[in-house]
Amino acid sequence: MEFKDVKHVEWGDAVEAIETCYELGWTDGLPVVPPTVERVETFIRAGGRDANEVLGTLPERRREITVAKVAANAVMAGCLPDYFPVVLAATEAMLDPAFNLIAPSASQGGAAVLVIVNGPIVEQLNINCRNNIFGPGNRANATIGRAVRLILMNACAAIPGLFDRTLIGHPGKYTFCIAENETGTHWNPLHVERGFERSESTVTVFASWGPRQVRAGHEPTLVLDCAADVASTLGSSLSTSDSVGDTSVPVRQGQVAIVIAGASEFWAGWSKLDVRAYLYRRIRRSVADLKRAGVIPGIVSSDDHEQYVQLVPTPDDILVVYAGSPDATSYRCAVILSELPKVASTAVTKAIRLP
Amino acid sequence: MAIATKPQHALVDPTTQPLVPDFTYAPRLTDLANKRIGLIDDSKENAKELLEEIEVVLRQRFGVAQVVYHRKPSASKPTDPAVIEAMAQTCDYVLIAIGS
Repeated sequence: MEFKDVKHVEWGDAVEAIETCYELGWTDGLPVVPPTVERVETFIRAGGRDANEVLGTLPERRREITVAKVAANAVMAGCLPDYFPVVLAATEAMLDPAFNLIAPSASQGGAAVLVIVNGPIVEQLNINCRNNIFGPGNRANATIGRAVRLILMNACAAIPGLFDRTLIGHPGKYTFCIAENETGTHWNPLHVERGFERSESTVTVFASWGPRQVRAGHEPTLVLDCAADVASTLGSSLSTSDSVGDTSVPVRQGQVAIVIAGASEFWAGWSKLDVRAYLYRRIRRSVADLKRAGVIPGIVSSDDHEQYVQLVPTPDDILVVYAGSPDATSYRCAVILSELPKVASTAVTKAIRLP
Repeated sequence: MAIATKPQHALVDPTTQPLVPDFTYAPRLTDLANKRIGLIDDSKENAKELLEEIEVVLRQRFGVAQVVYHRKPSASKPTDPAVIEAMAQTCDYVLIAIGS
């Protein structure tokens, strides 16, 4: 296998190998697995793709992203070769024009890329979809999510302080990968809702802020009321003058993901469609509140208390994922807001191609 | 005494470099009188105000004849290629404002 960019280095032991990668400026701050030619070749064979195949481009930074570059970063993240097709699909999704990678990888808002895996591959690769869904402890979640960040930093030049202009950011920028617990719910999986076959495996990428956990009551409506309240908060990416405050262009609102844990039976009689419709009507803010917060200019009038602005453009812009502990005794969910208006970046789903 | 050498290793570089195609500049203008100007507003705050003021200055002080204004739907998205093509056909020069 021929690689275009090979660095010849020397080291005596494992610690020196790790330090070499630090010196080359290739890490996210944590130690990486050195991307030796042999290891990268193993990954490329596992992906069944040509090393020099261009997966997509980042025209604003004049970059081409090849299979070999993605493989080198997946190796460094600590992935297993079998994870590589997932990382490839996530990269293809990020390079889709609808995702508009330049925006979430540069914006001061500091988005992380939430990776949601669906389909049979979740069990095959043991990707965690249950307890501690956003937490540590599982290799697949930790390293697939980390590979995405290393790809952004190394292959896409989203270096903090250079092209990544994040002001604050959040810990999901290190790694942010979950799977849906499809076998634990009567709901249709996310990828089926988004037009794929249940038998297919997919990756969905979503440029977003960190998960805000919601602890809520003992009725589905109470859970959703609380989630909608959290999604409607002032000061969020959905309620800024850049988003709903700017009425000069259509569809400035953003998207929302909601990750719902707890027993599936709790949601008996509810479909995901019902959940989305219920939330859609309630993710909103009064004109009075938006004016008081300076999102909409003008003085609050008496009518403004009864006038509302929807923060999400359509019910389909709410991504509902069943994941987290299935046996929670108090009901919890996590609300994740898009960092950007939908017009600037939209969640994208791609099929995982297995060799 | 032999000097101990460390083993050599070959690493695949995970980074990319920009691929910049050759290009040539358009001819420079020598004056702005009776020229046609394109203004591209990135849609962030204050970009419109800045460009509107510039338009006044260009018309009054420099005799600019015609102005084509385009507001991008999102600062984060590239300008629609059709708009760029149209401006290339109808404008002598283009200004872009990046708001904040």
